[in-house]
Amino acid sequence: MRDTVLLLAMNGLIWGLIIALIALGLSVIFGLLDIINIAHGDFFMVGTVLAWFSLSATGNFWIGFIVAPVIGFVIGAIIQRLVIQPIHGAAALSIVATFGLSLILQETVRITFGATPRRMLAPIQGTVPLFGIDYEIYRLFAAGIALVALAGFFLFLQHTKLGIWMRAVRHDRETAVAMGIPAQRVYVMTFGVGFALAAFGGAVAAPITTVDFRGGVDVLPFCFMAVIIGGLGNLAGTVAAAVLLAFLEGLVQSVADPTVARISSLVLMSAVLLLRPQGLFKGFTR
Amino acid sequence: MAVSAATFLISVPWLIPALTDNFWVSVITEILIWSLFAASANLLFGYVGLLSFGQALYFGFGMYGVALGIDHLGLSFWPAFGLGIVSAIAMALVSGVFAVRLSWHYFAIITVVFSLIFYFLAVSMKPLTGGDDGINFSLPPVFRFGGSIWSLTDPTFQYFFVLAVVSLCFFLMYRVINSPLGKGFLAIRDNDLRASLIGLNVYVLRLIAFVMAGFLAGVSGALFAFFGRYASASYMFYQVSGEAVVWTIVGGAGTMFGPLVGTTLFIVIREIVSSHWEHHSLIVGLLAILAVIFAPKGIVGLWNGWMTRLGERDAASAPPRLTLQAEP
Repeated sequence: MRDTVLLLAMNGLIWGLIIALIALGLSVIFGLLDIINIAHGDFFMVGTVLAWFSLSATGNFWIGFIVAPVIGFVIGAIIQRLVIQPIHGAAALSIVATFGLSLILQETVRITFGATPRRMLAPIQGTVPLFGIDYEIYRLFAAGIALVALAGFFLFLQHTKLGIWMRAVRHDRETAVAMGIPAQRVYVMTFGVGFALAAFGGAVAAPITTVDFRGGVDVLPFCFMAVIIGGLGNLAGTVAAAVLLAFLEGLVQSVADPTVARISSLVLMSAVLLLRPQGLFKGFTR
Repeated sequence: MAVSAATFLISVPWLIPALTDNFWVSVITEILIWSLFAASANLLFGYVGLLSFGQALYFGFGMYGVALGIDHLGLSFWPAFGLGIVSAIAMALVSGVFAVRLSWHYFAIITVVFSLIFYFLAVSMKPLTGGDDGINFSLPPVFRFGGSIWSLTDPTFQYFFVLAVVSLCFFLMYRVINSPLGKGFLAIRDNDLRASLIGLNVYVLRLIAFVMAGFLAGVSGALFAFFGRYASASYMFYQVSGEAVVWTIVGGAGTMFGPLVGTTLFIVIREIVSSHWEHHSLIVGLLAILAVIFAPKGIVGLWNGWMTRLGERDAASAPPRLTLQAEP
């Protein structure tokens, strides 16, 4: 019993770190472009598929960690120019546009990758004893990678030119433009970065979950929950909420079936929305 | 326009089999049902400014009210229909009490969350709901006059029954929108702070709209259960709600017939393309994107814009002609 609880809680924690990466991408797009991105789950799914293709093409798993975010960034930037820019940040229209994107991405993957879900073999096999249970090494490794990527993203926001531009445009677009920041280019880059984060999350998660053209459908509500519970625009809150939600779901799963776990996190979500719509962590950060 | 549309809708059961085949009568029946569902999203988004991503919940309650009423409780047609509608309204009232306290993004998210909770409940209560596979039932007759029995198993009767119910609902919605209550809705959509300052109770008005939208979605769900002779949890998933929003915005949010136009467009394309090409979703996706780029006010909005511009051009060219005629 204790082992099951520990195992599922660990799984939840690690899944939460990966979700945090994806949700961060969603939050950045949401916060900067005011786009409700229905296709974000599919960005994640495209990441898993890119990882699968790069593994089968090169035989090397690790290349997927570079291929997925890079191609993701490029697709994201192109999407921003072709689809998002023409609708001028109208949130209601963005729902329709990204719904269309979601269909196109899923169908493209179904044509190229196929409709059958596939499992990917983890590049690091074996287990390691941890608190008295044998735990898969790859999952621990994935958690480490996700943590490094999260830290890297926050450093990127704080210390690179693009990161500072992104924060500036988000803070006050008018002033940022007056100071000579190319806002349009920042939007393109931001969407690319958002896609890249989700795709990277997909590449990391590919050996843990299944690679499937509908793989993003379940991830999407979870990411939105993390963004809202964490507080809109509160990036650190998003990360904390993602980890917390997945960890709690993991805990509940050890005593009840996964559906009950999902329902309990949804109920928690409703409570947060009604009692603290500004997010769970407002007042703790900044 | 309106007269020719009405004539077309009434002549469908004879016109369509003469032109193509009976299959399209059932497609048009389905379009009517789904456009009522889209209308429920439109009532909230287009007229009150609340973007609901959870209308599938009330659609599902309408559906299960009918299916469980017939299959488990052994109800006849009308009581089952009533059960479906009442359970949808009750659900909308309970969730609306909480949901309409929030607005914009938060409202959209909480409607999704509520619908997901009941989606997962329906999936997990498989003995009752049948989960994603759903439950089948056999249709009870609608009317029984002495010896003659009217049942939805007759496609022509089914079509007229659906047409009558959907038209009645659209008419009710039209009456509400043009009543003082409807003006209150519009005031809230345009500026909820101003609406509250002129003495409107924003919370209560939003709740009324939410329950009305639940009613429309419930009726469409009940009709769809009769139409398909089954109910399934898969119709409560958030993607079904999303489709109603997309159909509404592409057709024209805040217009009476926008949802009908959007729904017709997407379902007709699905039916035509899917029989020739497996990957018809690509076209649907592309169409949704093109629609918001080139017709941000929806197809009906685009049409109205053209009509206004045409009217202005006529008005601009009319006076000189008058003066010309006036000169000797």
